Order: sequence, then C-alpha cells, then structure tokens
Amino acid sequence: MRRGVTIRFEGIGKRFGRRVVMRGIAGQARPGSILVLTGPNGSGKSTLLQILAGLIRPTRGEVRYLDGDGEVPREEWRHRIGMAAPALALYEELTAMENLEFCARVRGLEVDGDRLRNGLVAVGLDPDRPTVVGGFSTGMQQRLKLAQAVLHDPDVLLLDEPGANLDPDGQDWLAEFVRGMAEEGRTVVVATNDRDEMTWGTDRVALPG
Amino acid sequence: MWRFLGETMAVFAKDMRCEFRTRVAFNSLALFAVTTLAAVSYTIGPYGIAEADRPYLLGALLWIVVFFAAMAGLDRSFVKEEETHTAPLLRLAARPLVVWGGKLLFNTVTLALLMAILVPLYVVLMGLSVRTPGWFILVLAAGCLALAVTTTIVAAIVARAMSRGALFAVLSVPLLLPLLVFLIQGTRAAIEGRVPDVLAALRAVVSLGGVMTVASAFLFPVVWHD
Repeated sequence: MRRGVTIRFEGIGKRFGRRVVMRGIAGQARPGSILVLTGPNGSGKSTLLQILAGLIRPTRGEVRYLDGDGEVPREEWRHRIGMAAPALALYEELTAMENLEFCARVRGLEVDGDRLRNGLVAVGLDPDRPTVVGGFSTGMQQRLKLAQAVLHDPDVLLLDEPGANLDPDGQDWLAEFVRGMAEEGRTVVVATNDRDEMTWGTDRVALPG
Repeated sequence: MWRFLGETMAVFAKDMRCEFRTRVAFNSLALFAVTTLAAVSYTIGPYGIAEADRPYLLGALLWIVVFFAAMAGLDRSFVKEEETHTAPLLRLAARPLVVWGGKLLFNTVTLALLMAILVPLYVVLMGLSVRTPGWFILVLAAGCLALAVTTTIVAAIVARAMSRGALFAVLSVPLLLPLLVFLIQGTRAAIEGRVPDVLAALRAVVSLGGVMTVASAFLFPVVWHD
C-alpha cells in the first residue's frame, strides 16, 4: 500500500531582487488528488512548483511534506518527488535510454534494462531509438520528462504545463496518465493555463497576476 | 559507501559521455594549452634561457601553461549544467556530495589527460631535462589533484553567479596562488634533483589540497542548493 504524502504550504512569498513574484500563497495537496495551480503568465506558478519541489527557497512561508509518520525530512524529499517541467531539462547529448539509465543510477536505483524500456514504452517512446535527445521533437522530450519523473515510483508528482507541445492524442493520453497516477494514491500538483488540464483536479490554488 | 561510489560514478560517466560527444571542455583546455605552449616554445625555445635559470623558469612556465588551460575549460562542468537547465534535474535526483564527487572526478581525469599530452610535449619542445623524473611525476600528479579540487568548488560557486567568466578568475586566483607557488618550487626541485625540497613542497601541496577537499565537501551542499 502506498504511503501518501500531503503537501502543506503556508504564507509562501518569493522575491527575486526587488521584484515580488508572489505573496502569502497557501494551499494543500492531498494523496490521491490533483491540485491545480492556475494564474496568468508571470504569476509565479512555475516558481511555486519549484518551491514545492525544494528547488527554490521561498523568501517567506514554509512547505511541509507530511506522511503517516509525521513530517518528511527535507533530505528525503528527492526520493518522494517526481517532477516534469520546462525548468528541468534532459541531457541533449544522451539518448532516451541513456537519460533514464543515468537518472536511475544517480538515484541509487538498481538499473533494470527491462524496467527502463517499459518506462519509455509507457510514455509512447521507442527504447531502441538511437537518436540523442537533442534531436527529439519538443513533444517527445516532454514524454521523456514524464518517464523520468515516474522512474523511481514517487509519491508526489509535480507537473508544470505538462500538455504543452503534445498533440491532441498525446494530450488525451496525458490526461489518462495523470489521473491514473492520482488514482494509485499519489499526490499530483499541476501548474497550468490550459482549460482542459484545469479540469483534472477539484482542488485549486489561483495565483493573482 | 558502495552506493555513494556508484552514484558518483554515474555522474562522472554521464559527464564523460557528454564530453566525448561534444568535446567542449577538452577542446577549450587543449586550445589554451597548445596555444600557450606554442607561444612559449616559439619565443623562448630550448636555448632562450641561461642554464642556471632553466629549472626555475621552466618549472614556472609549465604551471602557467597548465593554470591557463585549467581556467579555460574546467568551469564548464558546472556552468554547462546551469546554462542547459539540467542542473535542477541533478539537484532533484542526486545527493549534493555525489554531484561534487562526480564533477571532481571528471575535472581530475580531464586535467590528467591534458597533462599527459602537454607535459611530454613541453619537455621535448623546451629541452627540459629532469634529474628525478619519479618525483617530477609525483609533483605533477599532486598538482593535478589539488588544481582539480580547487577549480571544481570555484566552478560550482561561479555557475550560480551571473558574471561567470570574470568571477571564475577572481575567485580562483587567491585560492590557486599559494598552490602554484609550492608547485613551482616542487617542480624546480625535482628538475634539479633536490629531493628534500621536493618533499617539503609536496607536503605543502598535499596540505593545501586536503584543506580544499574538506572545505569543499562542507561548502558544496550550501552552494549547490542556495
């Protein structure tokens, strides 16, 4: 049984130099549900997602990860989080398989060729494709980012504009994929402006522009 | 421990694989090293220095060539991760010390490869004769490691800053200057065959390298995440 993780964030503020990006943002993402972050361009959706991932420290406020045992220590977050975002690029000099293999090794996972291949097939990529990622279309890169995000079977999935660059069939597949992730008990947070993606979750945090 | 080593090797292997496919860092290093070496050998050559001055000047020139090359290419390991936006993925997936270890290994191997090509060329072109080749190689090896340790942590700091090129040089100079002084002293002593002086210089280089290693291990997680 998956141990769900609740993400609680309160009073989140962030400024870059003199520019205030957000102020007093609060919310909660629960296991088995999809939290949608919305807001106009430049409202700080991507920044908030990176704050939730621990990649950026907020200027004010705090983010807490809670599971059945209490608060998850910050150094353990990386084991529990999977993330796909434009800010998280893949290695363009490596093939899709090499990228996944690197992510598995650096996370200390046992490298199982079949598991990596299945991970690529699951997102609609050909594991035998010899092309390096630099030669991929943006849609294919997006699919690979999703494969990388779920490689270590995380409890939390953070997605920034996940449907961007995907064709209509890809967007249908993505909706099913993300709903499936939540149904398996994961906590999913999606930052998006897309009207269809906004309907994925019932929980919502709207960031002011 | 084995898990840490395995993860470190993953970062190192990834960097080597990417480098062999683009050759950005190695080309920068090689370009600077060969250009400086060609300029030095053309203007000074094997007979442009008096016999008595040769050990000191040739030792100093050798480390100047290596230093310039190191400044030109070794910062790429971190700067490239930031510029291509792969650093956040690495931050999310890997432990900070694993990243530092992998990058240090990559910089050490890159510098060692460069020195393996550069030093024999330098010896031939400058007509350098070394009385104690074993100690000479030991000084070079210690220098390679200490230089790699220092440039790795400086590169990590610089990669997080805005004006990268200038900052790398500015931060490196005070850290590398004492190291270079002892390396030049050790190299000169090895050329002249004065083993006790080589040992004294080696002790200083190893001490400085050791201090930088320990300081880097503590400092890197803060630099990497903030």
